[in-house]
Amino acid sequence: MKVMNCPLNGPRNISEFAWGGEVKPMPDPASVDDKVWADWLFLENNEAGVVREWWCHVPTSFWFIAERNTITDEILKTYAAGDVFNSRVEFSKKAETK
Amino acid sequence: MNSINPASLKRRSFIYRELVRLGAQFGEINGGAVPLSFGAAREVELASARRLALADLSVMPHCGFKGRGTAEWLTAQGLNIGPDSNKAYAQAGGELAARLAPTEIFLMDSLVGSGALMSRLNAAWTWAEAAPRPQQGYPLPRQDSHGWFMLAGEFAPEMFSKMCGVDLRRDRFAEGAIAQTSLAKMSAIIIRADRKAKDGRAHAAYHVLADVASAEYLWSCLMDAGKEFDIKPVGLQALQDLEQ
Repeated sequence: MKVMNCPLNGPRNISEFAWGGEVKPMPDPASVDDKVWADWLFLENNEAGVVREWWCHVPTSFWFIAERNTITDEILKTYAAGDVFNSRVEFSKKAETK
Repeated sequence: MNSINPASLKRRSFIYRELVRLGAQFGEINGGAVPLSFGAAREVELASARRLALADLSVMPHCGFKGRGTAEWLTAQGLNIGPDSNKAYAQAGGELAARLAPTEIFLMDSLVGSGALMSRLNAAWTWAEAAPRPQQGYPLPRQDSHGWFMLAGEFAPEMFSKMCGVDLRRDRFAEGAIAQTSLAKMSAIIIRADRKAKDGRAHAAYHVLADVASAEYLWSCLMDAGKEFDIKPVGLQALQDLEQ
């Protein structure tokens, strides 16, 4: 079986993991229009090549980031999400348009 | 041995009907009905526990603490919490503090099961009044979320290899090590916790914690996987006798 290296639990069978979509920069929710927001929320770029993706180790519900080559399905590296998202995000209130 | 009727107590295992069917003799520990033996002679159950045996500890006290500051708060309460995740740390009273993640601790009582440490911690924990609140984590009720079994005996690693992808052999999976993994297609926590006899020998034993809603399923899977090694259900007495 294919083995993935979980940053918390070490190498585990790929059947213990769930894919969680690509890592994409979030547009500013206060100024973004609905189309761009929906695009960010629901649509994947589905790039051929090395992509950064969210993965979850299901037995521990531990979310982390993996760099994977979508052409060869090779996992290049994995690291804790805290390595990238290490500061608090504050949201300003958006005035309702309707 | 006088057995009590588990239905006479409010706290009993989710699989107590199956345990009754297998001939369990129950005793009351901390207000719960715990299987103490399965009717065989004491030496026979001890021999099973050395070979391969499964015990249900679900009623024994266990709880959790989680969130930023948890390890620091528990340390301030006098617990021994080491820096590594996926490692269980022994406490002064024989309890085990399993560090599942940097900010998550699963506490399991000793085989005496008084619940004293857990009661003390739960009584000591309160939200701080001041804002901003200090990072101290929060209690996580685990008593009724996780079924708790112990698989004991020298054939345990061999049996695990049939139903789990992680290498749990004794030369690979050290004392106190934790594997949070898939066991019989269920998410489970496996902790190596050898029973140390007075003569210095360590008898292989593993805690198995998993979703209580599937406790019957997991019990039957473990008993089925152990058939070829002649697995037997044992009570708390046999596990305590391993330490004699």
